[in-house]
Amino acid sequence: MTDSAGAHQSRKVPSQLSDTAQSIWGTLRAIASTRHGATGGAILLLMVLIALLAPLIAPYDPQSLTPSSLAPPSWTNPMGTDSIGRDIFSLVIYGTQTSLTIGLGAALGALLLGGTVGMLAGYFGGIVDTVLMRIAELFQTLPVIILVLFTVAFFGSSFWLLITAVILAIWPIEARLVYGQYLRLRNMSFVDAARVADMSAAHIMLRELLPNAIQPVIVQVALDASVAILIEAGLGFLGLSDPNVVSWGQLLYDAQSYMTVAWWMSVFPGAAICLAVAGLNLFADGLNEVVDPRTRGRKGGLQ
Amino acid sequence: MARFILMRLMHSIPLLIAIIALILLMLQLIPGDPVQAMVGDYPVSPAFREAITKQYHLDDPFPTRLLSYFTNLVQGDFGYSYQFQRPVLDLILTHAPRTILLTVTGFAFAIPVGILIGLISGTTPNRRTDHLVTTASLLVYAIPSFWLGQILVLGLSVKLGWFPTQGMQPMISRAQGFDWFLERVHYIALPALAFAVHEGTRFARIMRASVIDTLSQGYIMTARAKGLSRSSIIRKHVLRNSSLPLVTIAGYAFGTALGGAVLLETVFAWPGLGLLFVQAVRMRDNMTVVAVVIFAAIAIILINLIVDVLYALLDPRIRSRA
Repeated sequence: MTDSAGAHQSRKVPSQLSDTAQSIWGTLRAIASTRHGATGGAILLLMVLIALLAPLIAPYDPQSLTPSSLAPPSWTNPMGTDSIGRDIFSLVIYGTQTSLTIGLGAALGALLLGGTVGMLAGYFGGIVDTVLMRIAELFQTLPVIILVLFTVAFFGSSFWLLITAVILAIWPIEARLVYGQYLRLRNMSFVDAARVADMSAAHIMLRELLPNAIQPVIVQVALDASVAILIEAGLGFLGLSDPNVVSWGQLLYDAQSYMTVAWWMSVFPGAAICLAVAGLNLFADGLNEVVDPRTRGRKGGLQ
Repeated sequence: MARFILMRLMHSIPLLIAIIALILLMLQLIPGDPVQAMVGDYPVSPAFREAITKQYHLDDPFPTRLLSYFTNLVQGDFGYSYQFQRPVLDLILTHAPRTILLTVTGFAFAIPVGILIGLISGTTPNRRTDHLVTTASLLVYAIPSFWLGQILVLGLSVKLGWFPTQGMQPMISRAQGFDWFLERVHYIALPALAFAVHEGTRFARIMRASVIDTLSQGYIMTARAKGLSRSSIIRKHVLRNSSLPLVTIAGYAFGTALGGAVLLETVFAWPGLGLLFVQAVRMRDNMTVVAVVIFAAIAIILINLIVDVLYALLDPRIRSRA
């Protein structure tokens, strides 16, 4: 492990909001120095580029229909075509946009909602703690997929509603994590010092505590993003995702009726999901190595 | 211990009531006409509408309806499903054992395999082996189980014809005794495998972390100092102590899986609770939807409680703290 990562482990008393940004940037650099983190980061970067440059990379308009339906992979259609003659390669490329938006949107949303709840509950304690954490427990007692399926099936499958539903299902994990961090930090002497200096609660929560609590939280954000991508794929697979948006899960749903004649309809979109999820998990793994000193290097092994 | 269980149960009841109220409130907020949703695309006669409105108390204010749902619930009445033409409780009781069967079979493979992989990768003196196993299990874990199911069906059922593609049993079966058992094994193999691969790789990762944690403990050094062989340290000290956290996590995962095998059951048309839930949601069979959610919540609450109690019983350190 590099020294820069070690420096970020030590506690500091930040005085500017930019310290949070600096802490995140330093963490990102440390992740890139781990084996899994670098691989995962590279995969994610590639996917972001594909999503941004989709119109340039995709050889066809993903929604344009051609007479050559169910064509196997060839030079003209590298991943074959589907039952209505759409080019699977172009669909998979555009699907990257959907999956990344869902992943990023839901993870950031869960961070914002769960983070705020965890922060307030952990800092104030007492009745605020009891009420907020009981609500978190309530949402955690339902399987994620059931909650999302329920919301989307009954309230409509618009893209933004889907993101909202995923946020509602996954925020408690984030809340618990931030809550634990704030509970641990709130009685430390640097917080007492800030209180004595008559700083506002908001100032202490955001500027004093946040930079010290952020690291394990970022690990969870990466994991949340992979969960969100999987949920979206699952809903698409059940035929419940937004029909106006190209998505990998939806391609798998279409593939189901043609499993015996067109394997390429299932294999390529599925592989894309695996790649995105693997990228995020590898990235989170690298991050975990940076954040949790116990996992750093290799401690295990018995001669 | 009895006090601990009682406290936890007392804590769970308001939680369960809140969950049911939340789900009923969400159903209340759904846009559209509930009577129309119930019959689908057919025209609704005024007489029928009036009868349904009266039967389900659709005109009553929300708190009244909530109360009546709870009153029925404590009497064991989950309502009647018009889509399935059966009492909802009856539906739950026929579908739940199938989901439990699939989950138990999947776990029966996932837990030993996960423990073995985690133990090997955590204890091997060879860094390379560990890296290889860790990365491989991370990559396999990224495969969504429903897609893996699709691919397994494509390869092993459609192309090779080794397994049935869907369902839990043949339409007509004359097999008896051991043949009957083999026939069932044939049907459950692929869904259980798809389930076990996903959970097993997750368990392997947790087990590895736990093994590494155990190896740093003082008693391992003591065991080595007194000259125990590597294999007996692994068997007697590492395996037992490292498995405990895994068993806890597997327990929680089991509770979640009982209500959450929605996608896998859909791929294999396995007629369990997950498939029932999807069908009920599609048909707007609200009574069934609510019942499955309640069942899932109860399963999670109860199993988490059992896991916590077992953990306390198995680990004396925690028992004394409680």
